[in-house]
Amino acid sequence: MPVLNAELRARIQTELAKYPTKRAATLPALHIAHDALRSVPPAAIEEIAELLELHPAEVFDTMSFYGFFRDDKRPLGKHRVWVCRSISCMLRGGEDLLAQLSRRLGVAPGGTSADGKVTLEFAECLGACEGAPCLLLDDECHMNQTEQSAAAMIDKL
Amino acid sequence: MPTVTVNKQPVEIKPDERINCVQAAQRVGVEIPSYCWHPALSVVASCRMCLVEVGETKPDGSVVMQPKLVPGCQTPVKDGMVVVADSPRVKAAQQATLEYLLLNHPLDCPVCDQAGECLLQDYSYRYGRGYSRLDEPKELKPDKDYIGDQITLFTDRCIMCSRCVRFTREISGTAELEIINRGSHSEIDIFPGHPCNNKLAGNVVDLCPVGALCSKDFLYKQRVWWLRPSNSVCPLCSTGCSIHVDQNEDTVYRLRPRANPQAQGHFMCDEGRFGWKYTHSESRLTTPLQRARSGSVASHDWDVVLPAVRAALVKAATSSKPLAAVLSPWMTLEEAYLLASYLKSLSPKARLAIGPVRVVGEDDRYPKGVHGQPVEPVKFTIRAEKCPNRRGVEIVLEHFEDSLVSFGDLLGSAAAGDFSALYLVGGDPGGWITEQQAAGLAKVETVIVQDILPSAASARATFVLPGGSFAERDGTFVNLAWLAQEIRRAIHGPGDARPDGRILWDLAQRRGLFSLPLLRREMADAIPQLAPLRDGLLDDHGVFVRPAAGIPQAGVAAAGVTPEIPGP
Amino acid sequence: MPEFEPVLLARIDKPDSTSLAGYRADGGYEALKKALAMAPDDVTAIVKDSGLRGRGGAGFPAGVKWTFLPKNHPGPIYLCVNADESEPGTFNNRILMEQDPHQLLEGIAIACHAIRSRTAYLYLRYEYGRSFRVLDKAIRECYQAGLLGKNILGTSFNLDVYLHRGAGAYICGEETGLIESLEGKRAWPRIKPPFPAVEGLFGKPTIVNNVETLCCVTHVVSRGADWFKSIGVPPNLADKRDLGSYGPKLYCISGHVNRPCCVELPLGVTARQLIDEHGGGVWKWRRAKAVVPGGISMGFLSADELDTSLDFNGPLKAGCLGLGTAGVVVIDDQTSMVDVLANCCRFFAHESCGQCTPCREGTSWMKKILDRVRAGLGRLEDLDLLQEVAGSMGIIPGTTICGLADGAAWPVKNALTKFRAEFEEYIRSGRQSISASPELMAAH
Repeated sequence: MPVLNAELRARIQTELAKYPTKRAATLPALHIAHDALRSVPPAAIEEIAELLELHPAEVFDTMSFYGFFRDDKRPLGKHRVWVCRSISCMLRGGEDLLAQLSRRLGVAPGGTSADGKVTLEFAECLGACEGAPCLLLDDECHMNQTEQSAAAMIDKL
Repeated sequence: MPTVTVNKQPVEIKPDERINCVQAAQRVGVEIPSYCWHPALSVVASCRMCLVEVGETKPDGSVVMQPKLVPGCQTPVKDGMVVVADSPRVKAAQQATLEYLLLNHPLDCPVCDQAGECLLQDYSYRYGRGYSRLDEPKELKPDKDYIGDQITLFTDRCIMCSRCVRFTREISGTAELEIINRGSHSEIDIFPGHPCNNKLAGNVVDLCPVGALCSKDFLYKQRVWWLRPSNSVCPLCSTGCSIHVDQNEDTVYRLRPRANPQAQGHFMCDEGRFGWKYTHSESRLTTPLQRARSGSVASHDWDVVLPAVRAALVKAATSSKPLAAVLSPWMTLEEAYLLASYLKSLSPKARLAIGPVRVVGEDDRYPKGVHGQPVEPVKFTIRAEKCPNRRGVEIVLEHFEDSLVSFGDLLGSAAAGDFSALYLVGGDPGGWITEQQAAGLAKVETVIVQDILPSAASARATFVLPGGSFAERDGTFVNLAWLAQEIRRAIHGPGDARPDGRILWDLAQRRGLFSLPLLRREMADAIPQLAPLRDGLLDDHGVFVRPAAGIPQAGVAAAGVTPEIPGP
Repeated sequence: MPEFEPVLLARIDKPDSTSLAGYRADGGYEALKKALAMAPDDVTAIVKDSGLRGRGGAGFPAGVKWTFLPKNHPGPIYLCVNADESEPGTFNNRILMEQDPHQLLEGIAIACHAIRSRTAYLYLRYEYGRSFRVLDKAIRECYQAGLLGKNILGTSFNLDVYLHRGAGAYICGEETGLIESLEGKRAWPRIKPPFPAVEGLFGKPTIVNNVETLCCVTHVVSRGADWFKSIGVPPNLADKRDLGSYGPKLYCISGHVNRPCCVELPLGVTARQLIDEHGGGVWKWRRAKAVVPGGISMGFLSADELDTSLDFNGPLKAGCLGLGTAGVVVIDDQTSMVDVLANCCRFFAHESCGQCTPCREGTSWMKKILDRVRAGLGRLEDLDLLQEVAGSMGIIPGTTICGLADGAAWPVKNALTKFRAEFEEYIRSGRQSISASPELMAAH
């Protein structure tokens, strides 16, 4: 039984059409798998490798370079919250916000809350410095955050 | 001739030659230190150890230097170029790079296999500052015991040169090795369930310039400074990889490929790399043996056995039936020539055949593609023909024989009682004669077996002469591409075993001691194809002895090929 | 001097700034029409004449870059749009993409016509989810309207534009790192030569341009090179290598100002003007201690250097690495430069790709040293060591493949030169920085 179902495979196939080499679809394929599975387990890597005519080690080499993807040892929660700690946010309390959310969720950055709802991450500059401190909820940016506003948003998830 | 200047010394390069600063410097004995660069792999210029200053000579003779340091490995030299590899700036960069490489290195040389042949040690000694200014804890990365059946990784010794990864992607094509993570968290690893067990895997250990990738076979067996290397040739297939045999006190500990652009290039396969163990097999033939007609042992003494062999051959030569001999494709050129010329001198009608050439599967070409198919251009081939010197023995046989019989036909004649004496030379550790084939030897009055391991033939022989493995002999092998290369004796054989060349030299009652140069000169005079050996000495890369165009070689080529024979 | 009229941000506050209809109503895609009526080389000539320099950080003249492509190349040529904006303090590309996607798409189409490319990949950092959705919709609108795809605007010009999302790696902003990443590999910058214009994406001639650069192209074509050159700072004629700083530029202002924002101004505005006239002044009635002129890899301006003209030359004269992305970050006088520098060093230790030894080891070493200093265990010699490490890495000394290491080194060099007394005082005092949780913050 493949880890990537027919729908995911079809989406990866669609990506292949955009590039002259199959390998170029590595990141898109990883995103598709990662979004759906909340991690990219070794079996999924092997399947992606097969689809892209690569060796699994080549896919994992690429995947692990980008801090973004999780393997199945540390799967993501339902949502992912990235708190920016780079300079503009740090100057306006980004590091404190990260520490506060870390305490509130009971996890260190990288960890997932006990209820599996939220994975907390530190982020390098999210490119929303005019709204520092900011955070990224999945891939939507939220600016000018405080512990209260962030917590309220997480509670609503 | 284009000329570049390295550290004020002129270096001439050929007009069409494309070499980098590191290579140009090597020609005048200047070492530009480097880790990631390897002549057989793609250039990544990432270790930054080979930084040099370069400049160009303007038409008016003035030299204009580039303001930046450049990696010597990435910079091709061209006429008029000036390379400075010893300026204060270069030295400062070398010191800095070394300090960086050692920052998180465990400095565990006392327990590291690589110590003594480690580029981190060597370069630190030559270019380093001698102490680290890191006050903080080192990054510790877990060791990975299982990179492959033969390979272990001491992760924290790794300097991320990526040679090993590039090897598996570019040479073997099997791409088992990967870099994981980013920046200072980077590590070498394998993908779970896909260990680095390809047939060329052992090369990554040689390629590793530090003690990160280690050979499990060699691990903790020897300190490398106790080892004495001898140049030799791997005997396990007809590629004939140039190798080093590393030994200490008559024990071989490892083989390493020896770079030879005329032979295999830079690498060797694991079959060859780990295929020398039979050399130290418990079952090696270690004493000469003469059997009485009753089957009991008449002598174990060379001084008795060898004259008895000679007497038996001389007597057999007077018989109405011919003498016969099987020359093994594991013999050296010189041994084959000694035996053939000796027997022909006793009896011009002596029949000579080449022993079985084991062929296993098909030629195995690398790199492999993702589906396991070989991909052009081929960078390495493991030959199906599992012997080192079929070409060489064929050259000798063609000289002495007008028409050649196959091993099978010769044994058939033996079984029919057609021969007065049969001299069989073995040497193939994979076995070369079956029980059934050997049964026919009973019809031959005198059977002489010269071999290294017991076989169905040695069990029936009148005389058993214990010879030497490839590591115990001096001589010449001619590979599939007609490259004649020298094997040099690295160790003494076990017990009373003698190098085959000495056995045959003494048997033929030649004067003095076995002499390669003498034999080569003699062969060169006798056999036009071997004229390139006339110097008597072979350089490390060997010399080609290609047949002259138009001379058919097919006569023997089809001869002795037999299917796989089970080993003893 | 005539009143400066913003063009790049002219439409961003409009309610339908992202729709094709809205864009066309404002005269959108007229520049493309004009460009398609011209020979490709003539479009390149206009861009070259305008003096438009890359807005991504290096400031290389865009039109000149286009001329590096091989002539009459038979195979494909690619345009890569660098939308991997990740330099701390920089968000102008995000605003352009989120608020006016068609301005960018028009610029892409014009550029592709000029360089004879039929395929453009827009490499978008993953974190810009909203940009992705806006651009995705805009691209679909373009295909439907015949502005992308086959026979664009009834001409023989064909163009496909693909969005390619990154996965969180700063180094993908380096053009060859971007190319490697697009090809599905780790984003290890390539050794040059060959340059991408000769051998780039998939081994084919490739141009990599920043988002803002391509937006400028749209206006250069519609308004002409002279218009572009009427804005900004002309070159100092005494300096033959000075290419000038022409055109409008988006400045990002963030950090300790009352109104962080992105503004479009002629190149050459000073840091002080930005803070006071556009950022609403330093917050809490404090004074600026230091200002990052263009993303942290450019280093710092001290309080004495706030009148530095933020054009391509000004920051260099003040000892900074350059104008960079024009992401201006203001640091107030209550903030410790030790903490600021530690933040910068952590960023680069996290983002070093790990390929070149000096950068891989040096960035993480500098971070470790600063962590130790902030733990109250610093020594004065550490400052010299930091300087030495910073001085040993980068493409300027020639010890690395790409410029990330120069960017990692520059804040260290600037901070230790311009604020040395503060570092010495900090170390002598033996105090520790208040940090939310040292272990938690030290991870990289």
